Amino acid sequence: MTEFLINRGHDGPARSGTLRLKSSTTSTPALIGGTSSTDSILGIWTLGRDSRPLSVPCILALPPLSDYTDSMLELIRDDDPILLPSLPSSSTLGPDFAAALLNRQLVLLQNSGDMIEPSRVIVRIPPQVKHELLDSIVPRFDELGVRGAAFVFNGELGPNDRDSLALRSRLPRNWLTLALGRIEPYAIPVFYYLGLDLIDAGRALGAAAQGIRLWPRGYESIPHSEEIRYCSCHACSSQTNLADIDREALQTVLVAHNMGLCRTFLSESVNAAHLGQLRSLVESMTHSSPASAAFLRTVDKELYTFTEEFTNTTGSGALPLIGPESYNSPVVRRFREYVASRYVPPSYKKLILILPCSARKPYSDSKSHKLFREVTDAGLGASRFAVAETILTSPLGVIPRELERSYPASFYDLPVTGDWDAEETAIAADALSVHLAKFDKSAVVIAHVSGGYEDAVKAAESRIQQSIIYTTSGQPATSRESLESLGETLKELVDVLSLKSGRSLENKEILRATADFQFGSGSGEVLIPENASVWGKPYGMIVSRIEKEQTCAYVAASGALSLTLVGGRLVAPLERYWVRFDGRRIKGGSVFAVGVLDADPKIRPGDEVIVIGTDDEVIGVGRSEMSGIEMCEFEKGCAVSVRHKVD
Amino acid sequence: MDDFTDELHRLVVEETRSARGASIRKRPARPAIMPASAWTTETRISSETGRALSIVFSTIGCAHARDASGGCTMCSYLLDGTQRSPSSEELQQQFTNAMSKLEGAPSPVSVKLYTSGSFLDPGEVPVSARTAILEMLAADSRVREVVLESRPEYVSQEVMAELRKSLGDKEIELGIGLESSNDLIRSICINKGFSAEDFHNAIEIARSEGIGVRAYVLVKPPFLTERDALLDGIQTIRDVAAMGATTISVNPVNVQSYTLVERLWSRGEYRPPWLWTVLEILRQSSSSSGDSVRIVCDPVAAGRIRGTHNCGVCDEAVSQAIHEFSLVQDASVLEGLDCSCLSEWEHVLEHEDSSLLVHDHTLTGK
Ligand code: SF4
Ligand SMILES: [Zn+2]
Ligand SMILES: [Zn+2]
Ligand SMILES: [Zn+2]
Repeated sequence: MTEFLINRGHDGPARSGTLRLKSSTTSTPALIGGTSSTDSILGIWTLGRDSRPLSVPCILALPPLSDYTDSMLELIRDDDPILLPSLPSSSTLGPDFAAALLNRQLVLLQNSGDMIEPSRVIVRIPPQVKHELLDSIVPRFDELGVRGAAFVFNGELGPNDRDSLALRSRLPRNWLTLALGRIEPYAIPVFYYLGLDLIDAGRALGAAAQGIRLWPRGYESIPHSEEIRYCSCHACSSQTNLADIDREALQTVLVAHNMGLCRTFLSESVNAAHLGQLRSLVESMTHSSPASAAFLRTVDKELYTFTEEFTNTTGSGALPLIGPESYNSPVVRRFREYVASRYVPPSYKKLILILPCSARKPYSDSKSHKLFREVTDAGLGASRFAVAETILTSPLGVIPRELERSYPASFYDLPVTGDWDAEETAIAADALSVHLAKFDKSAVVIAHVSGGYEDAVKAAESRIQQSIIYTTSGQPATSRESLESLGETLKELVDVLSLKSGRSLENKEILRATADFQFGSGSGEVLIPENASVWGKPYGMIVSRIEKEQTCAYVAASGALSLTLVGGRLVAPLERYWVRFDGRRIKGGSVFAVGVLDADPKIRPGDEVIVIGTDDEVIGVGRSEMSGIEMCEFEKGCAVSVRHKVD
Repeated sequence: MDDFTDELHRLVVEETRSARGASIRKRPARPAIMPASAWTTETRISSETGRALSIVFSTIGCAHARDASGGCTMCSYLLDGTQRSPSSEELQQQFTNAMSKLEGAPSPVSVKLYTSGSFLDPGEVPVSARTAILEMLAADSRVREVVLESRPEYVSQEVMAELRKSLGDKEIELGIGLESSNDLIRSICINKGFSAEDFHNAIEIARSEGIGVRAYVLVKPPFLTERDALLDGIQTIRDVAAMGATTISVNPVNVQSYTLVERLWSRGEYRPPWLWTVLEILRQSSSSSGDSVRIVCDPVAAGRIRGTHNCGVCDEAVSQAIHEFSLVQDASVLEGLDCSCLSEWEHVLEHEDSSLLVHDHTLTGK
């Protein structure tokens, strides 16, 4: 009996887990070595062909095109996970061939009687399999008790590898996944990030056999290389000159070095995932080769629904968004989509002020935004409440002032140069035109931006229905001229638009916008209705009460709303972010996946969720630890960390 | 075989036919009076040295490849033939034209009758042409040995008796390609179209007329890993030796045009066998199969990317050893070879099996 358990916590599709075999336990992610590499965490051997590596837990591969006689199957030790037989992949023969290869594995399993325990089985998924076929056959394996699948990669990070990944993204979320084939060490972070638990280090071994020493970028042929590079690793530094030792000794050194490199990359990935920094590690690794950069960008496009589902909606620590590989990272793209689809401006906004972002987050704390604030306060006076501030930024697009502390708006970190490339400009222009369409046509847009920001506004101009006033005339937004021009423009507009005076509604606006952002539009009005009393400070905490009962609280540090049970009951009728619990009361501080009957598929790890009991009552509120679909599919693990519950 | 194995086979047949595709129509329309090729070599005939004439008749080609069964996945012999079948007279002319290459050659000589299919298929070589050719051979006293090739379905008691009768006490060897003794491999990977039993029967029948059988063993049909190929080669040789073959000809796949193998190969999904694999097959077989059977190997395109090859540095030395072994039948000539690519080959044996990733560095450059 083999069991794969997924531990708490996500960083994108990457997860850490535990592979429990009969006699040993392995933590994932892990590397798969060969028969001889004691250095690797998991061995792999082929039945009847290799002798089983002695000291390590092993995966057993069944050879292709054999007749599996009972006597052969008897050789299978009752411990190793079993890789079912297939044939080398063939794009030439196409999807039908792949389908037959997959079906043959099912038949073999069904006919093996009790010789092959399904929970130990790993299915080989040929890269050419059609998605529909996979979707229909995987449940049949799942029913039998299979919980693992292997995918093959040729390491080119091209269409073949993306095909395998696309297939991987369709697996049940609780299956163990293997990446077999040729995986360069520098690609380990991205494969781990994309949800592969066991990664073949065969490339490291194969390179060693070819006399090749692998480096974080590229490789070196020894002893052909003219000048042998310096390496501080234990294996290399124990030799005075690699060119002088015999072949066998060299291979031993290279195995140790190359495997060491794989382990370094794996350990760095694991650590980054703990810190919620795996995505930025992956992004930084795209500079290893043009193929890696193209690979990540294409994967972001093709597999967004997959990567996004596992991407946390909350986070802590800086989020570096350095280059083009960040433009469509799931957290960034989702933010743009949430703002576009969920943010609804208050109807009383008659002016929209577009401002540039600042390096310092939240923007309000920056020097430039403090200046803007002074000028707007002075220019608008008691009509200030009528202005909607919108910060233009790359690559997040537009950020309504109310959401400036939300994740990742106040956490991202990027070189603010004001020079934008064409893609950034297009992203911002799209976001802006969608955003402005939500305001009244008679409202006036004031674009207090220059440089790249101004280009983005201009690029959106034809799609903007309101009139636009530019207030910088080519000068930086913080220049004295620009600020004066802004002040005067605002003053004039108060008269021209005969803006009314009124109280600041900032706190309520923040709460409502954040509620909409978290739970979908319309939530704000339900959770913070007209009769709510709202207290606090935007830079500290804002609390909303209805008849003295607290409904929710906004904490500036996280930029997020947390619900009370009363708040949960208000939001519940919207049928969003709900988790149906199999019981009438929650025991302890967690809802476990096994106790989840059903959950909103929109739930992402880190979301504020409402737990509903079998009586249809709200019985708890808390933070999700996994995606809604995972809650339904997983048999183990913490689904929700409960904050408040009905006693 | 389960339904899905049948399905794999069906798809292989389809792809083989499609790969063959236009090539059938590209063949010259007109039957020839010259053979597709003919050449002579020096050879050993019994214990003497003599000349061997190999004739490849230009025919309409192998029936198995011509009809709906699609032919074998690695074979493009059909290309050597013509679209229309030559007449009996034209075939006889091809023969006499080829025989002129033996003019003045002293006794003994050996004549090898090849076609792009089966010499014994009356649809390919009409009976009248066959009889005439056999008569001419019988009449030439220099001819000590006659070799011909055929699929087993044309090997009947009757035809064997006819051969023996017309050629008298000349040595006769009949070449039959079993390729692999593994039924799955022979059907799915090769599409050979006959069973191991058909082959075994043919051997028995031939033997009853004192006709030896040269069994062709294919090294590394498509869809196999390098180690599959190694193990299948060794097993097949062992099996055909046990079935009573007199000579075993070991043939590493070479990538021929208009074949399924070529399609796979051009996409990096097939690599011809390593010379190390061929060497290892010979090494292991020569020790296990005893003296009664000769094992020969003369790889086509050895050392080239379309043929069996190693790293490029050692190819010639290994090919040379294989060649030498075929002549002297002494396994010691296969020993002592070494190259830095040996460890890479060992890696491929192991890693291809577990990963099922075709290891072909010719295309990726490393
Ligand atoms: S290998 Fe022989 S049987 Fe197969 S297609 Fe070619 S000629 Fe015909
Ligand atoms: Zn390898
Ligand atoms: Zn080193
Ligand atoms: Zn070599």
